[in-house]
Amino acid sequence: MADVCEGEGERQVPICPSIPSGEQTVWADASSLLHLACNDLRDGELIHGENFNLFAAMSALEIMDPKMDSGMVRTYYSVDEAIEYGAAPVPLSFDKTVDVQGTIDIMDHLLACEATWHKGCSLAQTVFSCLYLLRPDRTSSHALLHSYCRVMRASCNAVVCTVSDTRTNEEEDLFTMTHGLPLKVDGDDKCLTMLHAVEETIARQLRACKAILSKKRVTEDIEPLQNNPDLEEGFCKSLLCRLRFRKHFYHVVTNMKRPQGRGLELAKKHIACCFEELDSMIKSAEFLRSINALGTLEDGMKSETTASGSQPVGFDSTLNSRLSAPTPPRAIETISWKKAAEYFQKLLHELEIICSYNLDPVFEGVLRFVVEFQKFQPELVARAHLQHLLVQDGKLYGRDSVFAVICKASLLPEVAKNHDIQKNETVVQLGQLLITLLRVLCTNISWQRRKLGKILQDWRIIHVQLELAFREEFGDIAATSSNENICMKICRHILIWVEEQTYWIASRFLMLGFELDLYSTGEYCMVYWYIYIILIKLAEKTHMRAMTSNEISKRKGKKKRDLVKDGGKDYQLPPAILFLQCHLYLAEGLTMMLAALRNEKQIYLSTGPFNSEHERFVQHFELLLKACLPDHVSYYSFEETTAHARLSNVSMYNCFKEAQRIAKELRSSFSNDSDKMAELRRIEQVAEHNSVALAEHLRAYYYI
Amino acid sequence: MEMSNENEPEVDIKASEIEYVSYGFEHHLPLIMNLVDEELSEPYSIFTYRYFVYLWPQLSFMQAFHKGKCIGTVVCKMGEHRGTFRGYIAMLVVLKPYRGKGIATELVTRSIKVMMESGCEEVTLEAEVTNKGALALYGRLGFIRAKRLFRYYLNGVDAFRLKLLFPRAEPQPFHSMAADGDDSHEYNEHTLWRKSPLLPTQHVN
Ligand SMILES: CC(C)(COP(=O)(O)OP(=O)(O)OC[C@H]1O[C@@H](n2cnc3c(N)ncnc32)[C@H](O)[C@@H]1OP(=O)(O)O)[C@@H](O)C(=O)NCCC(=O)NCCS
Repeated sequence: MADVCEGEGERQVPICPSIPSGEQTVWADASSLLHLACNDLRDGELIHGENFNLFAAMSALEIMDPKMDSGMVRTYYSVDEAIEYGAAPVPLSFDKTVDVQGTIDIMDHLLACEATWHKGCSLAQTVFSCLYLLRPDRTSSHALLHSYCRVMRASCNAVVCTVSDTRTNEEEDLFTMTHGLPLKVDGDDKCLTMLHAVEETIARQLRACKAILSKKRVTEDIEPLQNNPDLEEGFCKSLLCRLRFRKHFYHVVTNMKRPQGRGLELAKKHIACCFEELDSMIKSAEFLRSINALGTLEDGMKSETTASGSQPVGFDSTLNSRLSAPTPPRAIETISWKKAAEYFQKLLHELEIICSYNLDPVFEGVLRFVVEFQKFQPELVARAHLQHLLVQDGKLYGRDSVFAVICKASLLPEVAKNHDIQKNETVVQLGQLLITLLRVLCTNISWQRRKLGKILQDWRIIHVQLELAFREEFGDIAATSSNENICMKICRHILIWVEEQTYWIASRFLMLGFELDLYSTGEYCMVYWYIYIILIKLAEKTHMRAMTSNEISKRKGKKKRDLVKDGGKDYQLPPAILFLQCHLYLAEGLTMMLAALRNEKQIYLSTGPFNSEHERFVQHFELLLKACLPDHVSYYSFEETTAHARLSNVSMYNCFKEAQRIAKELRSSFSNDSDKMAELRRIEQVAEHNSVALAEHLRAYYYI
Repeated sequence: MEMSNENEPEVDIKASEIEYVSYGFEHHLPLIMNLVDEELSEPYSIFTYRYFVYLWPQLSFMQAFHKGKCIGTVVCKMGEHRGTFRGYIAMLVVLKPYRGKGIATELVTRSIKVMMESGCEEVTLEAEVTNKGALALYGRLGFIRAKRLFRYYLNGVDAFRLKLLFPRAEPQPFHSMAADGDDSHEYNEHTLWRKSPLLPTQHVN
């Protein structure tokens, strides 16, 4: 009810002496008025305010409804109260064995929380559900816990910085919401020194207990970690790998932040160490579970958030919920410790790929790398690190100026990159589009596809603007055919490249639809057709770019499209174009095959009671059509191409055969590119399967 | 085809026994609330229901009754959205024992007809990517999966934004680029909304 009244703009505030009446305000008792108003309402009625929209309705809570009112389920009202009631004792126990055991559980649960955070929950409800992290000073007497908490906060902070710098997280903004959390605590920057000291001590304790076990004489007099000599080795080891993992992980994230990829080599070494320590952590589970007389890793651990299987002390995820989200906070589920360990393995693997990247100066190479990287379905943190490497200070890798990258991509000679034309406003804008494109390619693929669809327009517009700008500065480009003039050359090359890039974006947009499962089988025909026409354009532009740079641009008498399609007759096409051709044949074959199936067999039809295939076509390709990609394309072009497709038509059979042939031929050109090789193999398979299926069909057709 | 009524007794009913009614009386509201509460995980406050009833009484609640029992409902709205008038399906529920008999299809079809007659250009909704039944149902009615919304639901599951475009009176050529406003607000609203399944990404005003 409170929400609704607010909407009315006449809030009833209790008379509050701390806000005195003034010239504009007078306090009055409105309770009788309210009473009367209530009597006017019948059962079930509510007052509706103008600005009480659906969002307000959905965010409103019914107080004391346990499904909505998260305040109902909390145990404590504040962190201080929780601590007062002993929810987070320091030390955890005066029994040192219990204390060590409990500390390990906290470390493990924190790892599970961290992974849960990385996977899309708020920091407040995950890592900072830990009362020890929330009150940094309290742990200072407990060196082990204190140092772990410090490195934990420092690592989270480093990751938050990378993610917020890169803004890869637009749709995943919960990640960087740290308001009100003690994320940056004095002294956390020196966390490694402390961690190192603690690690040293435990390493010595481990050596000492091993010496005792092997009946060697102990030279130093060292106090053991805890009281039970039988468990000493196991506990020391369990702690060491956990501490070392944190140390190396911190090194990984900080080194990866260094400018121009300078820390990648070092980060890679630390990643290797992380893997090792993570393995030891997983192995330690057996020991930790044996103390609790629990089964092995495999039988349990489905939902347990610690290796030992015990509940950790000192966590309360309800306390922070007010800090966590704009929507009413809901209970979250922390992923299991086992899953968390797997998540970190995956993350580290992805970071390792980034660290092994050769910082390819060629833009095409960058695109290929990012596209391949996305196939691992990396989570936000991995993607943010990739983007951080690619784009720094508005330069590629913080190293190559955008204009230099464009020149290289347009196959211009080295001298071009110092040309004054880069100061032209439109050229600067083009540079910004390129940076945006790189950023977008690092986002999650759902968001990425939507964004790519939108930036297509920008790329179309910039092409027109560049043409105008160039004409203004240098006169008619088309009129001068010679390439003597470097300005002309730059303009021509860049314009072709911009078009090629636009079609590349369009093809990625369409392909991502498959990965996101946006197309239903009845729509495949039109999707393949669209891919086919986009690929023709892409191949054409790629070819033009290559030719312009080879100065052999005057091949008259043939249409460009034919040029691409019957390439290889009088001169050898470059492998990159043949590769596109391969895809092109495949898309054409599939389009015609699906069209024939629906024309003749009435399968894969796209129908519905309210609209026709035409509307579905318009909806799926709206953004491409709006950007005129390509020009003059409409539903009718699709209809025209496919209306007469028949299974008996050998041309589609030939498409598959051609795709297969080119894929085979290309193997030698890409023998050292494993991704391309795998793709070629897939193309060959698809082409072969379909041509076999068609051949069967044709046989049946002729012999019936 | 598999229907999710494993433990429920099949109810033997004839299509003619089902009565479709649009929201009329105050006493319908508790029936609808119970139904939604029972079948959908997400809690909806009384305000949400009120909101629909108040603004779209004829459209909001279409219900199916069998022998006086309310067995299914669909909750919809209409409104201006970036220059287009569109319909939105907010909730759709059929009680388990009554599923697989075309009741949901009938409810949705009726609502869509009202929207079409009221001048909507398109209809949208969100569904979990894992909700095979709903996706199949809407697919047959001609909805396309226009977008995928990353981790739209509280349980971390993605959603599809489904769309159904009505045919235009006469075929219009596509207007050129930059004519339409951009869609960039979507994400902001989406963030506000995403933790509540079945929510529209946009609100009316
Ligand atoms: C989705 C739901 C409303 C469908 O109700 P219903 O009355 O069983 O649907 P219909 O009988 O009209 O089904 C129509 C078509 O949808 C498809 N369909 C429905 N349920 C399906 C299922 N479980 N699996 C596969 N297809 C299914 C079928 O194509 C079916 O046609 P067919 O029976 O002729 O093959 C119902 O399952 C439900 O209430 N689910 C829980 C709430 C929910 O998910 N709501 C939708 C939120 S977007």
